[in-house]
Amino acid sequence: MNRIGIVVALIAFLVGLSVATFAELRVFLPAILRGAVVTVHVATLSIALFLLLSVVAGIGRAYGAAPVRWLSVLYIEVFRGTSLLVILFWMFFVMPEFGLFLSPVAAGVLGIGLNFGAYGAEVVRGALAAVPRGQTEATIALNMSAFRRMTRIVLPQAVAIMIPGLVNLTIELVKATALVSAVTLSDITYAAVQQNQLHFRTVEIFSITLMLYYCLAQFVRFGGAALEDRFSRHRARRA
Amino acid sequence: MIRFDKVLKAYGALEVLKDLDFSVEKGEVVSIIGPSGSGKTTVLRVLMTLEDIQGGTIYVDGEPLNRMDVNGQLVEASKAHVRRIRAKLGMVFQSFNLFPHMTALQNCIESPIYTQGLSKAEAVEEATRLLDMVGLADKAGHYPSQLSGGQQQRVAIARTLAMHPEVLLFDEPTSALDPEMVGEVLSVIRDLAKSGRYTILLVTHQMGFAREVSDRVCFFDAGKMVEEGVPGDLFGNPRNERLRQFLSKVLEAS
Repeated sequence: MNRIGIVVALIAFLVGLSVATFAELRVFLPAILRGAVVTVHVATLSIALFLLLSVVAGIGRAYGAAPVRWLSVLYIEVFRGTSLLVILFWMFFVMPEFGLFLSPVAAGVLGIGLNFGAYGAEVVRGALAAVPRGQTEATIALNMSAFRRMTRIVLPQAVAIMIPGLVNLTIELVKATALVSAVTLSDITYAAVQQNQLHFRTVEIFSITLMLYYCLAQFVRFGGAALEDRFSRHRARRA
Repeated sequence: MIRFDKVLKAYGALEVLKDLDFSVEKGEVVSIIGPSGSGKTTVLRVLMTLEDIQGGTIYVDGEPLNRMDVNGQLVEASKAHVRRIRAKLGMVFQSFNLFPHMTALQNCIESPIYTQGLSKAEAVEEATRLLDMVGLADKAGHYPSQLSGGQQQRVAIARTLAMHPEVLLFDEPTSALDPEMVGEVLSVIRDLAKSGRYTILLVTHQMGFAREVSDRVCFFDAGKMVEEGVPGDLFGNPRNERLRQFLSKVLEAS
C-alpha cells in the first residue's frame, strides 16, 4: 500500500513538473512576484522597528533607571509571551473597536516589530552583559561620560556579540511575515494560495514560494556576515 | 594631595577598609603592599570612584571627592564635581582593560578628544609622543589582540598619561604578565617615578621594585594600614609581627 502511495506521488510530481511549461509559469509568476514586493516592504519596515525596539528595550532593561527598567521588562514579557498571529489580529481587527484604525501594512509592521523586538531586547541585554566590567572601569578612569562610554566603548563591543543572535531573529522575522496574509495583505504566501486556487499548480507554486523565502533569508544571512566581519575586525586580524 | 579621612568601605557586613586614615603628599611615590584581601587594591578603587564608600571622606588636592562643599555644608557630590576631581587621577589596571576594538593609537586619543575637547591632530600628536615614550611608536596601528601583555600594559600607561593626570594609580600592573615582560613595564613606571612629575600610588607584589622606587611603603592588613615607613626601614627592620610574617613568606616564594 505504502509503496503504491510513494509511486503514485512520484508520478504525480513528475507529471506536474512536465506539465508546468514556461507559458504557464508566466501566468502565475507575476502575481507571486508582486506578493514578494509586499513581503519585502513589510519585512524591511518590520526589521527597522524590531532592531530599534531591541536596542531601546535591551539597554533599558540593562541600564535604565527603575521605571525604564520596569517598562522594558513589561514590554518584553508581554510580547514574548503572546502569539504573533493573535497580536496581528489584535492590531487589525480589535484595535478599531477602540477607535484605532491601522492600515494592513501598519498593523503587520507594528505586530511583527513589537513581537520580534521583545526577543531581540534579550539578545541585546545578553550582549551588553558580556562586555567585560573592566571596559566600563577603564572609561571611568579616563573620565568619559556615561553617554560616550555607551556609544563608543560598550555598544560597539556588544554589537559584535549580538549580531549572530539578531541575524537569526531577522531571518525568522522575514519568514514570519507570511502571517500578514491573515490581515488581508497580498504577500508571497497570500499570492501563492490565491494563484493555487486559480491554477491548481500546487507543486510549482509552492516550490517557487519556498525558494523565494529562501532567497530572502540568504540576503539577510550575507548582510549579517558582512556586518559581523566589520565589527570583529580587531579579533580576526593578526600581525 | 590625597587624604583618606576615616574611610569605611564595606560589602554588606564585610568591612574591607575600616576607618582608614591615609595620606599621600604631592610628588610622593608610595607603594602599598599586603596580603590578598588586605584592602590595598580597594584603596585605589575607591579613590578612582570605581566603588562608593560607606563612611568618611576622601580628599584630592584639598577637595572632597565624594562630597562637595555647598555654602559650608558637605553634600552628596554632583556628577560634574566628581568628574572635575577625577580628571586629576589616572589608573592603570592589572588586566590592562584596553579597548579591544580600537588600535593602540585610538585607545590613546579617544578620551582626550571626547572628554577634553582636543582636536584630532593635537590628540594624535600627543598620543604618538607618549607611545614613543613607552617604546611602542611602531605599534600605534596595532589592535590590542596583536600585542603582547607587556606591550598592552605600556599602551595602557600611555593612554592614562594622555589625560594629563596629576596622580597615577597602579593596581598590580605586572601581576597579569609573563615573567619576561615584567621588566619592560617596570622600567616605564620607574621612569615616571623618577621624573618627579607625578604623585604615584603603586599596589604591587614586586618587593624589590617597591623598595627601589618608593619614597614610602605602606603595609596593609585586614583593612587597616598597619605599618608605614621609608623602604629601607620597613623592609630592613619591620616592627609589626604580621609584616614580618608577610615579608618572610614573600621572600620564601621568590
